[in-house]
Amino acid sequence: MDEKYITVSKLTDYIGELFKCDLNLRHVFIKGELSNVKLYPSGHLYYTLKDEDSQIKGVMFGARYKLKKFRPKQGMKVLIEGKIEVYNKYGNYQLYADKISEDGVGDLHRRFEELKKKLNKEGLFDKSHKKKIPNFPKRIGVVTASSGAAIRDIITTIKRRWPLCEVILFPSLVQGDNAAENIVYQIKRSEKFDLDTLIVGRGGGSIEDLWSFNEEIVARAIYECNTPVISAVGHEIDYTIADFVADLRAPTPTAAAEIAVPPYEEIKNALNQLNQRANLAIDKKISENKSRLNNIVSKKIFTHPHEIYATKEMLLDSLIGRLNYSASSLIKDNQNRLELAKSSKVFKNPQELFDSQCFALDNLINRLNYSSNSLIKDNQNRLSLIRNSNVFKNSEKLFDSKNIDLNNLINRLEYSANRLIGVNENRLDLVKNSPIFRNPQKIIDKQKEQYLLQFSKLEILNPLNTLKRGYTLAKSEGKVISSSKNLKSGDELEVEFKDGNVNTKVI
Amino acid sequence: MVEDNMSFEDNLKELEEIVANLEKGDVPLDDAIEEFKKAMDLVKACDDKLKDAQDTIAKIVKDNGEIADFDVEQ
Repeated sequence: MDEKYITVSKLTDYIGELFKCDLNLRHVFIKGELSNVKLYPSGHLYYTLKDEDSQIKGVMFGARYKLKKFRPKQGMKVLIEGKIEVYNKYGNYQLYADKISEDGVGDLHRRFEELKKKLNKEGLFDKSHKKKIPNFPKRIGVVTASSGAAIRDIITTIKRRWPLCEVILFPSLVQGDNAAENIVYQIKRSEKFDLDTLIVGRGGGSIEDLWSFNEEIVARAIYECNTPVISAVGHEIDYTIADFVADLRAPTPTAAAEIAVPPYEEIKNALNQLNQRANLAIDKKISENKSRLNNIVSKKIFTHPHEIYATKEMLLDSLIGRLNYSASSLIKDNQNRLELAKSSKVFKNPQELFDSQCFALDNLINRLNYSSNSLIKDNQNRLSLIRNSNVFKNSEKLFDSKNIDLNNLINRLEYSANRLIGVNENRLDLVKNSPIFRNPQKIIDKQKEQYLLQFSKLEILNPLNTLKRGYTLAKSEGKVISSSKNLKSGDELEVEFKDGNVNTKVI
Repeated sequence: MVEDNMSFEDNLKELEEIVANLEKGDVPLDDAIEEFKKAMDLVKACDDKLKDAQDTIAKIVKDNGEIADFDVEQ
């Protein structure tokens, strides 16, 4: 009876074997919608795949590595490739996934890449077209859904950071049919509102949800918009076409708001700092100038101005003193002189002075007259004396006496001359009669006789005659040696004989 | 005086320039005082604007073109 029953495990093993034997279940392609998606820290992904009527539990081992960027989410329509096996523990069959991809995404990806390439080629993404986002906007436009997190996040963020700014919402569909057209319509509308910045975006969603931001008309509307545009499509990882074409891309609506407005507190601090710096700078400037002024004011010229001209004053005083003294002494001097002058005779008794001068004058005239008269008289006397002299009175007599004197002199001269001639004639005769003129030969003969006598005397003294008698003459270097005193051994001597010379040496 | 039509940014920028110039210290005192006065006007203008800030005004442009206040909590 017991043999009929098998254990649950055995049953499950058996069913498991059946699944494994079915080649169709070894490799399946299933599509459906995800629910109960759970990614465990182990990296395994657990999920339920369902459609309207059925569901199947599934697992993907090592999903974290296999899926890379792709994150399966609740409600996501997916395509799964894998196998069906039995999970013994719960006795159910499961879909073991090897690959998971979003349903319909392949087509969308292709369209995305094509459009990106096309617009890039047209230059819609060029940096040169990017407009600068204003630092201090007064009015920001937002094109997004009027309900949902996006607009709320944006307004909250702006309120917190920069409450000075006004936000104007241009409500738009952001997913589904007509969303793209609606977005384009609102962007164009916003241009009439004198906006500083326009934020275009929505919160996160699947690639299909975000698809309107990948539409060409939206891209072109953003490109043509005159207001600087920040794109804010809430999908942090992937870019949309709107992100590429916008002037600035923010990863989320909150981030867009943060980029769009400055932080209030920081600006307030910066303003306070500028205020402080301005005050410090002007304080410094003023204190600098103050100290310069103090420096100047504390100079002597201001503190003791009197000192500057005190010495001059002293000089002036002394000059005035000297001037006064000089002036008064000058006055005194002149007064004295004046007094003196006044008391002089000229003033006191001019007549007396005049008289005395007249007297002196008369005196002089008298003396002059006397002198001239006596001079005239003198000369008259001398003249008459001359007139009465012998020269004038007996001129002939004077001449005669002079004539006698002259004749005397002539006679004496003649006598002297004749005498002198006589003497000299006598001397001449004497000479003429001397033996030298009468018999000169006799004198010559006498002289010759005298000569011969002297010559014979001289012959006796000739040294050569001495040689003839057998004597010799010793010479050294042509000089006669008359003494042996100066000779020494080895000196050469020349000995002269009557008939020749011999050279010898002193031994 | 600070012109009203100058933007907050323009005012702030001018203020920064004036302060930097003042800090250089080579401005004559008279000019420095003038600059300082202008800086204080600018500080006041900017500060007034900052103080002015009430709550952010949020508006919605309805399909019919009507502009209405927009309440975030809706």
